[in-house]
Amino acid sequence: MSKENKIDTVFNRLKTENKTAFIPFISIGDPDIDTSLEIAKTLIKNGADIIELGFPFSDPMADGKVIQKSYERALKRKISMEDAFSFIKKLKAYRDIPVILFTYYNPVFVLGEKFAEGAKNAGIDGILVVDLPPEESAELTRSIQDKNIYQIYLIAPTTGNERMKRILSYAKGFVYYVSVTGVTGARKGLPETIKSKVKEIKEISSIPVGVGFGISSKEQARDIGKCADAVIIGSKIIQFIEDDINDKPAIIRRIAEFSFDIKSNL
Amino acid sequence: MQLPDNNGHFGEYGGRYISETLMPAVIELEQFYKKIRNDKEFIKEFNYYLKNYVGRPSPLYFAKRLSDIYKSDIFLKREDLNHTGAHKINNTIGQALLAVKMGKRRIIAETGAGQHGVATATVCALFNLECEVFMGKKDVERQKQNVFRMELLGAKVNPVESGSQTLKDAMNEALRDWITNIKTTYYMIGTVAGPHPYPLIVRDFQSVIGKEVLKQLKKLPDILIACVGGGSNAIGLFYPFFKYPQVKMYGVEAGGCGIETGMHAASISGGAPGVLHGNKTYLLQDEFGRIADAHSIAAGLDYPGIGPEHSYFADKKRIIFASVTDDEAVWAFQKLCRLEGIIPALESSHAVAYLEKIKKEIKGKTVVINLSGRGDKDMHTISEYLSSNTNKKL
Repeated sequence: MSKENKIDTVFNRLKTENKTAFIPFISIGDPDIDTSLEIAKTLIKNGADIIELGFPFSDPMADGKVIQKSYERALKRKISMEDAFSFIKKLKAYRDIPVILFTYYNPVFVLGEKFAEGAKNAGIDGILVVDLPPEESAELTRSIQDKNIYQIYLIAPTTGNERMKRILSYAKGFVYYVSVTGVTGARKGLPETIKSKVKEIKEISSIPVGVGFGISSKEQARDIGKCADAVIIGSKIIQFIEDDINDKPAIIRRIAEFSFDIKSNL
Repeated sequence: MQLPDNNGHFGEYGGRYISETLMPAVIELEQFYKKIRNDKEFIKEFNYYLKNYVGRPSPLYFAKRLSDIYKSDIFLKREDLNHTGAHKINNTIGQALLAVKMGKRRIIAETGAGQHGVATATVCALFNLECEVFMGKKDVERQKQNVFRMELLGAKVNPVESGSQTLKDAMNEALRDWITNIKTTYYMIGTVAGPHPYPLIVRDFQSVIGKEVLKQLKKLPDILIACVGGGSNAIGLFYPFFKYPQVKMYGVEAGGCGIETGMHAASISGGAPGVLHGNKTYLLQDEFGRIADAHSIAAGLDYPGIGPEHSYFADKKRIIFASVTDDEAVWAFQKLCRLEGIIPALESSHAVAYLEKIKKEIKGKTVVINLSGRGDKDMHTISEYLSSNTNKKL
């Protein structure tokens, strides 16, 4: 028997506490492997409930400038999926919170069966493949289904009700609602439709809903936390790396403060 | 078997590998296109513009002097004589009509050499549509004239500075724009790649090339040759001939400095299956699945992928893929200028250059080469190349 997936454990606990999960996103290897490990630990220390780790890809079509640049910094050194797995093992040894690997499909596809085996050994709890809709997911689903790894699906503002129902029937752990029609990146204003869309999802399924893309402030986080079960923030955190690229202590300090501030508002 | 199948697969290739935000738009496009694909009025309108605006049918020209050299009957399908100077316009006319019928008034496109960009800007002027073209910064620099042409035609050209600053990055940026402006915008893809239904749509609009050849030649050719980057001119020529097993097909990829150097754009000859830009297909990539930079003297072939239908027929060995280098293409370019008074595009020169590799095989045979574009846009590239490689001058 497989034990409960840790993503479920976290959402179950937060539900009883009536709290919203904070899911920060960073890229593995930005600005380098050691510093990104330190950043991940800092996020965990300062309130991350689940952590989403991006595997740097050469052609990040769904990402805005900030994450593109983050991947470019990380790719200056060759990072293999093996490196990502060993990174996750180290992080899990520090604290065993749920880890979601965020990736484009090609690096997963070229590894074939080896991917699922490696992901399991690394302790990955979920995988989000941004360019792999349910229609093309059969191969990946098959390879991870007996490994207690969840595939996290996306729902977008453009997703209609029928399609939403179908996606929700496959969803496990939580469903990721993409809050804006666009690429990743911090935005000052977020669309009004978020609340109604989250409500629409919740009418169909009891699965937790995480909202991401564009969230950058504690006010936005608090507001979205009222309707969603998780708030996902990436570009805003990565911006701290870009801003203080030559001052690592400053990066760590600013990310710690930001993270703590967000979690206190959820 | 129907290709692609209902989910857009050519065997294991093709499909729809895109983010969720785009899925509903691509499905909407597929459903809309399915309805209109065999609509008589739509086809009539498409053919009207092909005839009266593009100038079709394009001649199938018997290249006498070239034929004498190779002791075979060599015909050139003169897509270079189309309005805007290449086969690209066949597809953009079709897609512009489609966009108008869908009620989309803003068009975006990616371009490498600038031929698809020019063809897109042209139809946008013709049909009064707003047009933005994404083009790698490197390509903007090496294809200045086409940038100027697009601007004259009223398009906005956005230089793309990310990644390798070539066609693949232009396509990334176009996809990002599309995700952002999905409700108002039609993405006009220029080759037989991208998520389903694009490989089908572009094949449909380009296969006018092969259909005309069938009529013009009045018999089946023995051999077809076309250059392949993404592969739209090749599919356009080959598609109507797939049902004739006796017709042999060669897809000529860009060998750049040579496959062994790693500096090339030959996805089938030097790549492996993978997923990029919405489809599963052969790609240039490293061992970790990161996309490699392509290289070719012909900007229009400088792409690390290829249309999924080509990947399928490569595995089946229905299309034989081979490559010629930059040097060989430039040699053939000059040869065709001198022999036939035709200045071909550097892309099309790859197809002409392949004759030299199969000269024994083609003796006494009937060969059709798709002369997909004209070389006016390449004057600068060629003159630079020949002044730094004076020994390569004929």
